[in-house]
Amino acid sequence: MRHMSRVLATTALVAAVTLGGPFAEAKTLVVGVADNLTTLDPANANDTLSGGAARVVLQGLYGFDSNMQLEPLLATSYEANADATEFTFHLRKGVKFHDGTDFNAEAVKINIDRVRDPKVPTKRQSLVSMVDHVEVIDPLTVKVVLKEPFGAMVNNLAHAGLFMISPAAIAKYGKDIDRNPVGTGPFIFKKWSGDLFEAVKNPNYWREGYPKVDGVTFKSVPENGSRIAMLQAGEASFVYPLPSELAPVVTANKNLEVVKVPSIIIRYVAMNTMKKPFDDVRVREALNYAVDKNAFCKVVYGGYCKPAEGPVPDLLKYSTAVQKGGWPYDPKKAKALLAEAGYPNGFETEMFSKNNSTYIRAMQFLQQQFAQVGVKLTVTPLEAGVEAQRIWSVAEPKDATVQTQYGGWSASTGDIDWALRPLFYGKGFPPKLFNVAYYKSEKTDTGIEAGIATADDAKRTSEYAAVQKQIWSDAPWIFLTDDQILVGQAKGLSGAFAAPDGGLNFEKAAFK
Amino acid sequence: MLNYLIRRIVGIVPVILVIALFVFMFVHLLPGDPARLVAGPEATLADVENVRRSLGLDRPIYEQFGLFLWHALNWDFGNSLKTRIPVTEEINLRLMPTVLLTICAMAWATVFGLLIGVASAVNRGRWPDYVGMVIAVSGISFPAFWLGLLLIDVFSVRLGWLPTGGFESAKGLIMPSFTLGLGVAAVMARFTRSSFIEIFREDYIRTAHAKGVPERRVIWKHTLRNALIPVITMVGLQFGFLLGGSIVVETVFSWPGLGRLLVDSVAYRDYPVIQAEILLFSLEFILINLTVDVLYAIANPEIRFK
Repeated sequence: MRHMSRVLATTALVAAVTLGGPFAEAKTLVVGVADNLTTLDPANANDTLSGGAARVVLQGLYGFDSNMQLEPLLATSYEANADATEFTFHLRKGVKFHDGTDFNAEAVKINIDRVRDPKVPTKRQSLVSMVDHVEVIDPLTVKVVLKEPFGAMVNNLAHAGLFMISPAAIAKYGKDIDRNPVGTGPFIFKKWSGDLFEAVKNPNYWREGYPKVDGVTFKSVPENGSRIAMLQAGEASFVYPLPSELAPVVTANKNLEVVKVPSIIIRYVAMNTMKKPFDDVRVREALNYAVDKNAFCKVVYGGYCKPAEGPVPDLLKYSTAVQKGGWPYDPKKAKALLAEAGYPNGFETEMFSKNNSTYIRAMQFLQQQFAQVGVKLTVTPLEAGVEAQRIWSVAEPKDATVQTQYGGWSASTGDIDWALRPLFYGKGFPPKLFNVAYYKSEKTDTGIEAGIATADDAKRTSEYAAVQKQIWSDAPWIFLTDDQILVGQAKGLSGAFAAPDGGLNFEKAAFK
Repeated sequence: MLNYLIRRIVGIVPVILVIALFVFMFVHLLPGDPARLVAGPEATLADVENVRRSLGLDRPIYEQFGLFLWHALNWDFGNSLKTRIPVTEEINLRLMPTVLLTICAMAWATVFGLLIGVASAVNRGRWPDYVGMVIAVSGISFPAFWLGLLLIDVFSVRLGWLPTGGFESAKGLIMPSFTLGLGVAAVMARFTRSSFIEIFREDYIRTAHAKGVPERRVIWKHTLRNALIPVITMVGLQFGFLLGGSIVVETVFSWPGLGRLLVDSVAYRDYPVIQAEILLFSLEFILINLTVDVLYAIANPEIRFK
């Protein structure tokens, strides 16, 4: 092994000298992840991890930095008209796909049209379903024209689903493009089979001086202990996710560190506002008072989260902290409110959630908290298929059996619209979207509609501030916490990160 | 012998048909909507319908079954819902790692288990017996995930001798096959021991002793051959189980085998992969049973004529 690394170092040295590059030891970055990738065509991926692997090879017009802010990648700038129906993008000059073809406006058009093509449905079609047509103005300018105003268009185009793939490769591989990604990214796809995904350095990458590592390899290691062992043994330099209970193991090793990333994942309990007793806002407020969010954080997430200060996570643009420090914990007030609503002795109710140990622990904690104010909770974890049947496929609101649901949401477009519309919009009840609270408020609905109808920052800010305040006071949820994401990594590694949505990014990864 | 073989093989056909029917039925009787699962948690209703259409899940169930049978005959299970590559390709990719791991684990476990068993039986009630049985009981009792993580901690993290997992090097085979084989070795040892002790009581062994056959010959010829029948059964059964891929060992050592594929597929409701895997496991068991029967017939000629 020692011999191997010496050979590698020598090779790297020779390479560095001949290329006249920086005098550093480059090597391949090995990333340990929990699951297998599902596809390398991000337009057909619904898991963040596959998007992360795609991001090694492909990139979009815009991307997200480590704070979930938009960062120009293949576009350098854009303009939007006032009512958010036309977006003009100026593209980066001289960028080539890995197969040597040019990246240009035509390529953008082909890619957007591919994702929205109704004949060959992609899973991420909804990201661009509002697009009417795409106009090529000149090789470096492209205009996206929408059917209806949509202020978050740039965010949608920054989503992994709209990564730019070489049109020549799309033509060549057809459906098999999902195993042969050809993009403009910092690394060139080499191989994906079973547990391993490998990509090697793109020597012609457009960003000066990057990439700084020779390649990126993803290894899927489902067992948490084994994944951390890889990091400890030096087989991997970056592991994600790092379960909170194993964070101390990583901290104890002087060569390793735990990186905490505030996430855009919010944890909540949705209460079915159409059903008794949750049709009474006082009951919903009472349950908000009944839960100690800091204790919830400690018990369920090992302390790696913080109380939610509004209905959407802090890090999303236009998010406002409606109540600093989160909804206060006050069981006395909770009891008083319940009595006022006609439930002095509490009531019995049921909670649904996904069936995994963290979710069950969360529900058991809530069960204990509810019991303090006299509410008897039955905890019902649902296996994914049953969950789909009992919650997501229910056609009529009156047939919904859900009373409360514990869940989490990550707005993967990084825009507030995708944190509000799916969950609080009066026209977004299941099975259409995910409003399990069956929450409907005139003010919220018009606010959500107005917010997306413009690309104007000031207008969106004020609309969304009002919406968040309204939701907070209507309390269709028990607002619990914003998650933190944990990454374990070697101290010698820099520039690699998990974005707040869990999207992995290795463009600027470097070993010290 | 040939006659016997043909009879056995003909008997297999209806078994396979019944299995195929079950395999198809049970997946479709499970609750839940595969289209929604495939589309993912953030998918809209329209997205879900698109997925349903593109996977053919909108067709009537009998049509789906007819197609399934026809394709199964051609060993074609369509594409994985998850990765969209052909299921057979997906399985081929994992078959080798699992077979390799199974053979390694079985090989050492059978040899060691047999030796420990014989040593214990021969020295019944004396210290080699106690040592052997302590090893055997510990082998059965160690949970594989615990042993696996312990081995990783010692040999990968602390000593740095072996990789934590993966299929890339021959070294990577050592810890998983040890962990996987330990339980088998233990079971083998106990089985061999009790089978041996039973045969020792037989009249013909006493006769062999009485006519002055050397002890070594009594053990390895007269006793072993007769004691082997239950042991062969055991090897066959264990082999079948291990070929199904050990979920725990494959998970702990991130071994890209069939067991992990099955777990992943069930979690994802990857119907075609689940069906193909279960059919494959059933076939494996049938083949192993057939082999075991043939081995019986070799070990004990009387069986052929029953």
